[in-house]
Amino acid sequence: MKMNVCVIDDDQIYQLIIRKAVERAGVYDSICFYNDGSEAFEDLLNSKKVLPALILLDINMPQMDGWQFLDGLIKHRPDFDRETTIYIVSSSIAFSDRTKAESYKQVSGFLSKPLSVEKLKEIALKHQK
Amino acid sequence: MSPIKGSKLSISHIFSRPILAGIFSFVFLFLLGCFLLYQRYQIIRESEEREMVGVMDQVEKNLNNSLKDSYSVALSMGLLIDDKGNIKDFDQNAPQLLEQYPVIDVVQMDPGGVIQEVYPLKGNEAVIGYDILKDPKTQKEAYKAIDAKKMYFAGPIDLKQGGTAVVGRLPVFKDNRFWGFSAVIIKLESLIEQAGLKELARDKYLFQFSKIDAITNKERFFIENHLDRDYNVVETIILPDGDWKFYIALKNPKETFYELIPLTFFILLIAAWLSWMVILLFKQPARLQKLVDEQAGELINSELKFRTIFNQAAIGMVRVETPTGKFLETNQRFRELCGYEEEELKNMNFRDLTDPVEVDKNVALMNNLLNGEIREYSLEKKLIQKNGNILWIKLSASPLWKEGFSGNTHIAIIEDITERVLAEDELMRKEKRYRALVENGAEVVTIFSKEGWTLYSSPSGEKLSGYSEAEFKAINLSTLIHPEDSKIFQKQLQFAIQNPKQPVLGDPVRLINKAGEWRWAEYTITNLLEDPNINGIVGNFRDISEKKQAEIHLNSTYQTVMEQNRRLLNFSYIVSHNLRSHSSNIQAILSLYNTSDVEEEKLNYIELLSKVGNALNHTLDDLNEVVSINTNLDLNIEPLQINAFIDKTIDLLQMQIIKKGAIIKRDIPDDMIVKFNAAYLESVFLNFLTNALRYREPVRKLEVSITGYKENGSWVLEIADNGIGIDLKRHRDKVFGLYKTFTQIPNSRGVGLFITRNQIEAMGGSVGVESEVGVGTVFKINFK
Repeated sequence: MKMNVCVIDDDQIYQLIIRKAVERAGVYDSICFYNDGSEAFEDLLNSKKVLPALILLDINMPQMDGWQFLDGLIKHRPDFDRETTIYIVSSSIAFSDRTKAESYKQVSGFLSKPLSVEKLKEIALKHQK
Repeated sequence: MSPIKGSKLSISHIFSRPILAGIFSFVFLFLLGCFLLYQRYQIIRESEEREMVGVMDQVEKNLNNSLKDSYSVALSMGLLIDDKGNIKDFDQNAPQLLEQYPVIDVVQMDPGGVIQEVYPLKGNEAVIGYDILKDPKTQKEAYKAIDAKKMYFAGPIDLKQGGTAVVGRLPVFKDNRFWGFSAVIIKLESLIEQAGLKELARDKYLFQFSKIDAITNKERFFIENHLDRDYNVVETIILPDGDWKFYIALKNPKETFYELIPLTFFILLIAAWLSWMVILLFKQPARLQKLVDEQAGELINSELKFRTIFNQAAIGMVRVETPTGKFLETNQRFRELCGYEEEELKNMNFRDLTDPVEVDKNVALMNNLLNGEIREYSLEKKLIQKNGNILWIKLSASPLWKEGFSGNTHIAIIEDITERVLAEDELMRKEKRYRALVENGAEVVTIFSKEGWTLYSSPSGEKLSGYSEAEFKAINLSTLIHPEDSKIFQKQLQFAIQNPKQPVLGDPVRLINKAGEWRWAEYTITNLLEDPNINGIVGNFRDISEKKQAEIHLNSTYQTVMEQNRRLLNFSYIVSHNLRSHSSNIQAILSLYNTSDVEEEKLNYIELLSKVGNALNHTLDDLNEVVSINTNLDLNIEPLQINAFIDKTIDLLQMQIIKKGAIIKRDIPDDMIVKFNAAYLESVFLNFLTNALRYREPVRKLEVSITGYKENGSWVLEIADNGIGIDLKRHRDKVFGLYKTFTQIPNSRGVGLFITRNQIEAMGGSVGVESEVGVGTVFKINFK
């Protein structure tokens, strides 16, 4: 069964690119986008809403950044990590961001942009049931 | 034993027995007094007698006058008898006579001894016809007058008509034949009154009046009183015309005697007192002798004592010839002190033992002693011992002659005070050293009371604070301490008070100096209230202002550096993130491009690439602006009037303000002038006002208040709006961040406030924000 993937990122160009890359990888069922952490948070806050299998989360966003999104979700849906897999995807190469990502047990990994098709395939492979 | 010797002995016997002498003199004096008293008594008696004689003379004279008058009356009446022996004109003449001689009470004519005529008749009628010569009671005296042929006063008799009276009968002879009597009657009371007895007797005398009775030949008394003739009678007179006797006597003959009794007592006292004086006088030689004996004994005793003291005293003693300074006598201790033998010292002079420098001073003092200018002196000097060593001594000299006399020896007492002098020297050196340490140290040493009043302050205190010690004493320590530090200091002080003798190191506090500057001081306080030498809390204060200033400066530099570092980090993060997001996009697009075979798709990628190029350009512009703010060090900074710039900004935004119906309130003083770069100031105001216009609450009219005021000496500008507000709980640390937005409003890029903040901070100011969602936002700019 193919996974569905959700991208939370404010970079419009990146959104186009990732859509192409996901299509190329061909291992995902569907893809959805949120332009900001706050947009995603408001949508996913409702516990009845089924979480996507994979979330690719950006850190730097103007209104609600990746960390705030994570914290909000942990607070409101404590068990969300059973339903979904989260990866931080950032253009940041700052060491502090990588360490911070590792401190969240709900986060499966820290990925640097650009995200290659191969990497997307690998992740799908790793987390497919 | 010869009699002479014996008498001498008896005299000396008396002298040696003062009480006996006293008794003798008492007896002698008392007898003498009594004798004088007796003499006095006699004189008084004599004078009394003289006085009584005088009185009697007067009485006699008065009586004689009365009798003479009687005689005249009797005679005048006799002339009324005519040659035939008849009485003529008795009734006419009798009243005239009685009127003329009031002493006479009644007149009678008795021819042949028979009473014929009486005047006044009234009351005397009974006597008419009475024969005098026949009555045995009267005949004897009547015949006595006839026989003597002269007037004779009979009575006093009890009158037939009542009363007692004397009757003077003048026998009248006609042709040498007895005719009868011409008689006058004087009442006894009238006679006594006429004699002036009552007047003369007063209180002092008693009178008596007597007559030898013609019949009984006995003396009869007529005045009622207790005159005791044996004792009292002093004076008498006898009137032969009537055989009368008058007595006079003192009424109180013992009065004189009584008067003398107090005098007797007085004499007794005088005698007793004088004899007591005699006793004392006689005792004097014995007392003096005793005194002499005692003093002689004491003298011997003190001479002995002096010898003993001199020889065995624990201090040195020398007897010195004052004019020359030669030693006359020395004691054991002195010889020990100087190291010479007694024989050697006999030929020596004080100069031999004295430091030549001190000789003159010594000689001068000795001369003063000699002229009596001073009575003693003492000085501390050096004593040169036989072996040449030096001892410090205290010398006290007193002359051996009495004040006001002259003499030529004195005694000097010498004490070894070497140890004391050395100890004093040492003490003085130490004191000097400590004083120098305290006075010249950078530390202020103070002693103050529990209540904070200064008791002592070292001279360095004035150097450091500007307050003199006297000024310090008038100021309470607590008023010098900065209010913010007062609590810490009080805490330390209380701790010190509870822990006596334990030095307490306090945290630095600020103290104000006389010039009004706050100085940082580090201090140690030690509670020595119980130490009797201190009686206070000792405080050591060190001025560490420079150090503290450096520390504060260092701290602020550190803060600045940290801030810059933080900003740099932030910047580098932004740079890395924002630039890398573009480069990673390029990388991804290229990778997709390379792996694509579809030509149309490849064209899409190229288009995408050009979008990335634009975005990158945009980002680079932003970054450039930020970098230029942070690196442009040569900006022109000038004083700018806030009001002018606000005007300019409002002008620029006039169109928008009108369009959106915004109200702008201003309360900015004209003298609000800050040092700023003009372009930055324009940019800052434009940014804040633009934001206010953009993020307004659509449901209400936008109001912007711009207020300028001074806070802690620096200018502050507040820009408050009633817009949508910012959720500071979520966004506080992102408000001024780059590429941070908190609204859904399009075109919010998250650059304006970042730039604004950088511009303000580049000018040395700071900016803060307070906001509430739905209420509004206040930005507060603190200018440098």
